[in-house]
Order: sequence, then C-alpha cells, then structure tokens
Amino acid sequence: MNAWRQGWLVAVREMRQRSRSAGFRAGLIVTLVVVVALVVVPSMIDTSGGPKDVGLVGTSTTDLPQAIRDQGEGVGTTVRVHRYDGVSAGHEAVRQDQVDLLVVDSRRLEWQGRADEQLQAIVTGAIQVVAVRERAASAGIGSGQLQRLMAPVPVEKAEIGLTEGRGPDDGTAAILMTALLLMAIAVYGNLVLSGVVEEKASRVVEVLLARMPARALLAGKVAGIGLLGFAQFAVTALTALAATAAVDSVDIPAVSGVVLAWMVVWFVLGYVLYAMGYGALGSLASRSEDAQSAAGPVTYVLIVGYWASFIVVSGDPAGGWSQLLSLVPLTAPLAMPGRIAMDAVAWWEPALAVVLTLAAIAGLVVFAGRVYSHAILRTGPTIRLRDAWRSTASHAPHAPRLPRPV
Amino acid sequence: MLEFESATKRFGPVVALDACGFEVRPGRLTGFLGPNGAGKTTAMRAVFGLVELDAGSVRWRGAPITREARARFGYMPEERGLYPRMRVREQLMYLGRLCGRTSTDVARITDRWLERLGVADRAADHLDTLSHGNQQRVQLIAALVNEPDLIVLDEPFSGLDPIAMGAMSGLLAELAGAGATVLFSSHQLDLVDDLCEDVVIIDHGRVVLAGDLVALRAAVPQRFVDVRYRGPAPEWSRLPTVEVVEARTGRARLRVDRSTDLAALVAAARCTDDLVSFAYQPPTLSELFRQAVAA
Repeated sequence: MNAWRQGWLVAVREMRQRSRSAGFRAGLIVTLVVVVALVVVPSMIDTSGGPKDVGLVGTSTTDLPQAIRDQGEGVGTTVRVHRYDGVSAGHEAVRQDQVDLLVVDSRRLEWQGRADEQLQAIVTGAIQVVAVRERAASAGIGSGQLQRLMAPVPVEKAEIGLTEGRGPDDGTAAILMTALLLMAIAVYGNLVLSGVVEEKASRVVEVLLARMPARALLAGKVAGIGLLGFAQFAVTALTALAATAAVDSVDIPAVSGVVLAWMVVWFVLGYVLYAMGYGALGSLASRSEDAQSAAGPVTYVLIVGYWASFIVVSGDPAGGWSQLLSLVPLTAPLAMPGRIAMDAVAWWEPALAVVLTLAAIAGLVVFAGRVYSHAILRTGPTIRLRDAWRSTASHAPHAPRLPRPV
Repeated sequence: MLEFESATKRFGPVVALDACGFEVRPGRLTGFLGPNGAGKTTAMRAVFGLVELDAGSVRWRGAPITREARARFGYMPEERGLYPRMRVREQLMYLGRLCGRTSTDVARITDRWLERLGVADRAADHLDTLSHGNQQRVQLIAALVNEPDLIVLDEPFSGLDPIAMGAMSGLLAELAGAGATVLFSSHQLDLVDDLCEDVVIIDHGRVVLAGDLVALRAAVPQRFVDVRYRGPAPEWSRLPTVEVVEARTGRARLRVDRSTDLAALVAAARCTDDLVSFAYQPPTLSELFRQAVAA
C-alpha cells in the first residue's frame, strides 16, 4: 500500500475522531453562537433603523410637518410628526420617550440623552427649506422656479485606500485575515502538536510505524487536522455571512476575488509550514505537559513573525523590509497577504514567495520526518532537537547490559 | 523464513546488535530469549524498519523486506499502546486498512478475532473502558488483523494471568500450525521450553545459541540426573565425571557426561535405603540459557 493512501487514511481518522469529540463540537457551537451574536446583537441595539418621532410646539407653518417627512425620506428615514399644546406637554413627551426631538417655535431643537445628529440634520434642513420657500414667495419667485433653483447637485463620495487602486476595505480585510491566519495556524498547529504527543504517550505510534513511514503519518495528521480546520472555518464564515444577510447590520468589506484567493493560498501554505514544525518538535516530548515547552520555538517564531509583519507591512507595504519579510518563508504567509491586498507587490513577488515557501515546506517535511522518526520511539525526558536529528544518538529501547567483566 | 544476517546496530557508544545472525522458520514457534538489554527489542524493531541497521540485513523469504512484504507482518510491541479514546472495532479496522486490506476483508478478520477472543460485545466501546486483560486481547488482534505471514510479538506473556497465558500459548501454537512464522520474546523459560520448537538466545547483541530446541538439548555433552531416595546420601563424588549440582536431604541433581557409565551411577544410587526415582535427561532450557549467557 502506498504511503499516500496510508496518509489519507490517517487524515480521515483525524477528521472523524476529532469532529466526534465533545470538545470539538462544543468549541464549534460556541464559535458559531459568538459569531452570530457579533452580527445580530448590534442590529438589535441599533436605534438608527426604526422610524423617528418629532414633536412640534409653538408657532410653525403648516408646511413644516410635510417638509420634515420629505427630508427624512430623502435619507431613508421614516419620520412621524406629532403636535403638542405648549412647551411643557412637549417636554413631557420627550421625557416619556414618545418623541426623539422637540421643535419649539420652528427655531429651537430640544432632546434628552444622546443627540441623534441625523434626525437633527433632517429637521434643521426642513426648517431651512420652509424658510427659503417663504422668503422666495415674498420675493416673488414662483414655486416651479424655486424648485429649479434648489435642485440638488449630485455629489459622489469615496474613501481612498492606503495605496492607489485599492479601497480601504482591502487593507482592512488584509489586517483582519492575517490575524485570522495567525489564529488558525496557532490553533490547528497546536492540535497537531497535542496529537503527536498523545500518540507518543499512548505508545500507539510504534504499532503505526510498523505499518507506515513516519513521514506519511505526520503528513496525514497535518492534512487531516488542516482539512477539519478549514471546514470549521468555512462553516463559521458561511454562518457569519448568512447572519449578516438576514439582519444586515455589519458592512462586510468588499474584497476582490483575487485577494481572497491569495488569502486561501497563504492559509494553506502557512498552516502546513508551521504544522510540520509543531509536529516535529512535538515528537521530542513524551508527555502532554512537556509539549508546549518543546514546541516553544515554533510559537515564538510565529508570534514574532506576525508582529514584525504587521508593523512593517502596515507602515510601508512597498518598502524593502516588507519585501524581505514577504519573501522569507517563515514570515511570507503573514506578510504577503497584506501586501497583495494593498496592491504593493510586483507580479513576480507572490509567485516567488510561493515557490520559496513550497521549497521550505519540502525541506521541513524531510527535517520533520527525520526528527519525528528518530524521536517518536524514544520515551522519557524531552529530547534535544540536535540529538533527534543525529540518527546515532537515538537510544536503545532498554538500558543495555553492562559489559561483561573480563 | 525470516533471516538476520550480521545485523549490527549501535546507539552511540552502545552496541545493541553485534553481527547478529539467525533464522526463524515458517510453521514453527520460535522463542527469542536473552537477558534484559541483550538486543531483543532492537532486533524485532529492525524487522519493521523501526530501527535502521548500521550493517547487515534482515531478509524475508530470501529477499530484503519491502513495504509490500511488511503489510503482511504482524507486530505486538513490548510497550503496548493503542488509541485510548477510539472504539475497539473502529480502531482495529483502521489498523487493518493501514496494511492495505480492503474494508470488507478487514471487517471479516476483525469480527472473527473479536468473537474468538471473547471481546465482540465490547466492539463499540472506547478502548480505555475495557479491563486490562481485554485491552491485551485487542492489542493482540491488532497484530493479527491483516492475517500476517510473519508474527513478531515482544513479551506477549508479560502481565497475563495463568489462564490468559494458557490461551495465548494455545493461540500462538495454532497460528504457527496454520503455517505462519512466529517469533516471540519472553523471560518465561519454562513456558518457552514447553511451547517452542526453536529458540534463539542472544546476549550483548550476539546470538549465543540458536536452533531446534530438541537438537540443541541433545547436542549438549552433559546430561542431568535427578535422584530421589530415602536414607543416607550416596557418595556421588567417588564416581568420575559426575558433578553434584544440587544436594538436599533425600534428593540430588547431578550433571554427568553423556559418556558416563549409567550402570555405575544406578548402582551408586541404589546404595541408599530406598531409591524412590531416577531420571536421566538433557538440560532444561533454563540450564541451556544460563550456560549460554554465562559463557
């Protein structure tokens, strides 16, 4: 049976066993609940969506209520206008939350609590319109003429991004997705780590390695956990999208398909690169409690790489340091997506970074396979990486007998 | 046939296997003996490629061991271990499929063994909910789930109660009887003596004695005489080529040359008041072992 097929069986086992565990299911449910809450709750506490109530007291023209409603409609807000007899009745209505804003004598706005600036703008605009109409009428300008004079000039609005040709959403998405990438690598890399140590601690690994090469076992484990992680991520993302579509509360940054595709590529490369490291160093430890310290170097590189990339790339995405970080395999998955999103790369840079990272993964597979196969059958205290690399240093399964006395 | 040819393995300054050479024949049970740290586990791991030899080789049916051949090997390591939180049958199916067998095949073999070893009712349970004895049974099935031609078991009897030991002995004999090549290590010399056709004894990574047990015992120039009697002890020391191994009131164990005049020995034994029993036999495996390892 070839090693690919065996690796696939390992991957399937990983997915099946892990997706069945209570911990995984609980984690997924909690994640989904949190994501849905993050999307839905803001829409529930959002006050800007519903109709608004405006109270009128004192003198005002008969045109004003209609003008207020028209202004509101112009910006998509339904405004209901109520008339009260006297200022004290108006104040009472404000205090009882019956109206959001009170207009006194068409010249003064009163409210309680947080100011609703949009509603104030609507009402102020309406008062101006009514006043201009009155003045125009007294100056002999007909209503048709006035409408032509007042016809609004269309004004386009656009926020510009950090670099030419990219909107601010691409930059935001890059930061957000790089953070997600870091999280995914750390979470799923640690699953690989604990999986490797568990197999070593339970000694099942000797039964497995009698049947298959260490490389296939490690690769299968990395693939299985990666696919499961990807599926979990996809379910979470789809749930978030569905919730957003249902309540329409959060603006999803509009990211171009190319940027999104590159993100997926770097998710895969970054995860595989670091998971191999976690797997190799995990095999040095014999007990779960030693796993974290054995794999410490991988975590340090990951965290330092992330912050270095974040600071350098968001500072100057096209600069020399950014270029360097996005080409070095260990930081490329953390630095390159941001530069691509901000369009700060030449066409050949991502291609070269992918080639370099793939080469690094290939090297790491050999490295990890060797360390793993040398270390995985050695129990006891955590093994030094150098000893695991050297085959001669692997130890005998039992303490050897003392030499025969001469 | 499994052959070790000058297999050599060093772990740093330690020589675990030192030009180790022996054969394991099909259809026979071979006991693999040696003091702790003699190199048994290293030799067994070498069969499965778990240890890379520095020199020499292990051959199966006259050729270097390929991955295809290894898919038809069964192995029970000394350090027992399976996935504790995985269901018994599912786990066995997985291990069988890793050997390249189809699910239908593996299911058939797994169910047969679960039934045969009396753990079929626990098939759907997590391994860690089973008793120690049942976990051992599952571990044994894990070594047999690919219907292996070669079965290598490292200390299969350790930790077993006498009844389980009897069952294991019967099973191993049955597997060998069905044509499999079976190699197992053990420290229980009496059990190996009863069970095995062949033995291999290694010490310091070198084979010190190997071959058909009956022939090995016959080839030893000494014989042992066990005498039980009543009355005063005969004067054994007056006989040439007789050495007293052990002497207590009413019994003695003597080591004699094969050439010793038995009639004189019997006559000496009859000098006592009452000769109860007189047994003349080749050395036991324990004696062979001690002699081989002390040499």
